[in-house]
Amino acid sequence: MSAPLTRTEAEDLLYREALLIDTQRFAEWLELFTPDVEFWMPAWRDECTTTENPDRELSLIYYKGRRNLEDRVMRLTSGLSTASSPLPRVVHQVTNVLVVEADAAAATVSAAFTCHRFDVRMDRTDCFFGRYDYHLVRQSGAWLIARKKITLLNDTIPTVVDINAI
Amino acid sequence: MDVTRFVDDRPEDGVFRVNRAIFTDQEIFEREIEQIFEGGWVFLGIESQAANPHDFFTTTIGRVPVMVQRDGEGTLRGFVNSCPHKGARLAQTRAGNARLHVCPYHSWSFDSAGRSKAVKSLRAGCYSAAFEQTDHGLAALPRFESYRGFLFGSLAADVPPLADYLGEAAKLLDLVADQSEEGLELVPGQVTFTYEANWKLQLENCSDAYHFTSAHPSYIRVLERRQQEMSADVVASVWENSDYWKEEAQGVAGGSYSFANGHVLNWGIFGITPAIPLYEKAGVLAERHGEGKRDWMFNMRNLTIFPNLQVAENASSQLRVIRPIAPGLTEMRTWCIAPKGESDAARRQRIRQYEDFFNPTGMATPDDTVSYENCQIGYAGTVEPWLQGYARGMTATVDGGNRFSELLGMSPERSVLADAQLCDETLFHSYYRAWAKRMAGGSEA
Repeated sequence: MSAPLTRTEAEDLLYREALLIDTQRFAEWLELFTPDVEFWMPAWRDECTTTENPDRELSLIYYKGRRNLEDRVMRLTSGLSTASSPLPRVVHQVTNVLVVEADAAAATVSAAFTCHRFDVRMDRTDCFFGRYDYHLVRQSGAWLIARKKITLLNDTIPTVVDINAI
Repeated sequence: MDVTRFVDDRPEDGVFRVNRAIFTDQEIFEREIEQIFEGGWVFLGIESQAANPHDFFTTTIGRVPVMVQRDGEGTLRGFVNSCPHKGARLAQTRAGNARLHVCPYHSWSFDSAGRSKAVKSLRAGCYSAAFEQTDHGLAALPRFESYRGFLFGSLAADVPPLADYLGEAAKLLDLVADQSEEGLELVPGQVTFTYEANWKLQLENCSDAYHFTSAHPSYIRVLERRQQEMSADVVASVWENSDYWKEEAQGVAGGSYSFANGHVLNWGIFGITPAIPLYEKAGVLAERHGEGKRDWMFNMRNLTIFPNLQVAENASSQLRVIRPIAPGLTEMRTWCIAPKGESDAARRQRIRQYEDFFNPTGMATPDDTVSYENCQIGYAGTVEPWLQGYARGMTATVDGGNRFSELLGMSPERSVLADAQLCDETLFHSYYRAWAKRMAGGSEA
């Protein structure tokens, strides 16, 4: 009988996810997601509210299915994208991790993030910050990400923000 | 200003060159702001951004903060978004609804027609008679007009009527406006980004067919992967169903039109394909507008209304407003523009295609904007100041239109009919001829 997700387990997963992105271990990063993952970064409707319905409103990023994240990783690492060559250096700091709801099979987790990005191409440093809302599921004994919602608070984008800087 | 130092336009010699300085020079930039942005028509927004009584939205004309406000009777007006008292910005948000705007600094107030409602403690103010005889309302834009729901304003009063300024290019705005009898709307969710390069790079890139296979091979690779798999999970794209980006494609693939006052169109044939969200309306639109105009609605179209509006209908449909901030810094405000009343499935498809291609968080636009920044860095190389990027199509461009523009009854100044490889650059000439005329001190139209 499995126990509900603990905060330590949640932190372990979120920190590991951050490390895998920061160290460009994208194949391992993709393995953290379920095949039908919803990966969503809403746009802002106005000064105070983000968009809520991805089918009727615009998102900054919206994918249903890990397959689409694999495309993003392929593009990012292909050497064929000027914007991604060379890749910027990034470090994610994930804090304020809270288990909102949990049972043995599923859990909802919230966290805050800061991502510092150094764009070596332009010798420019940017910082992106916001909140994460995760839905995690236990599959074959491991916790996987079934949903990740990224609320980017500073959404005036300096040229580019890719999946490795949020 | 002697513009021939910056635009070398000698058609009789087969020469058209642009000097790198126009992208970097601070004095030229300031003159652009005065002569082009603050000296003539610029795009402000679309009517549906202020759809209901007392709705407003804010934008800029050059450096000037602007508010577009609908009053209680439904009339739209454009104002300088600045309190006449101390000059403070009045409306603080990008959009909203206000019967009354109260300045947060000293509480002067204005109704939704821009009229002064109250000067706080007026009687106790010991004002002079001269002050009391002064109008305390908001400064109206000297010119403000709508074309089919596209709103334009001018800080200069001595400009021609908007219809004259748009000229024949207005028929291309009709292609956007006529996609639904209910009109146009902006999908909720505005995306703003900046890039560290000159505003004219955005003008050019929208009209530049030549860069696509060079700047976007990673996106093309993604399309190829999706084509092979045909999985229901992946985001469908119109490009997958088109030969437009395939360099080996044969026959007429599209071309370009150039209009007076710097408006241009770059276009390509996509065909009536279910990959386009408008597909569900293909029959209705043909009945309503005829097949020729309907087919045009399904063509890839990148339209620039000089100097700051672009409507790109290719992977999806984007409305862009270009805002120059400095010679090497530009802000882009972007929206997904869509016909009202389309089905949920069509809207979802439009949105998904949009995010993947147009967003600065997507897979195509960053490879453009980063290229603009590479250009801006390279422009410092003034050993040879003249750029060579305005020469493709010089022997293909002809006066007037062609059989495709005739389908719209549209008479451009010049046109090019192209296969997939020609990738005309002569449409940029229209930008720089308008630019040179305005910078030299001439007015438009």
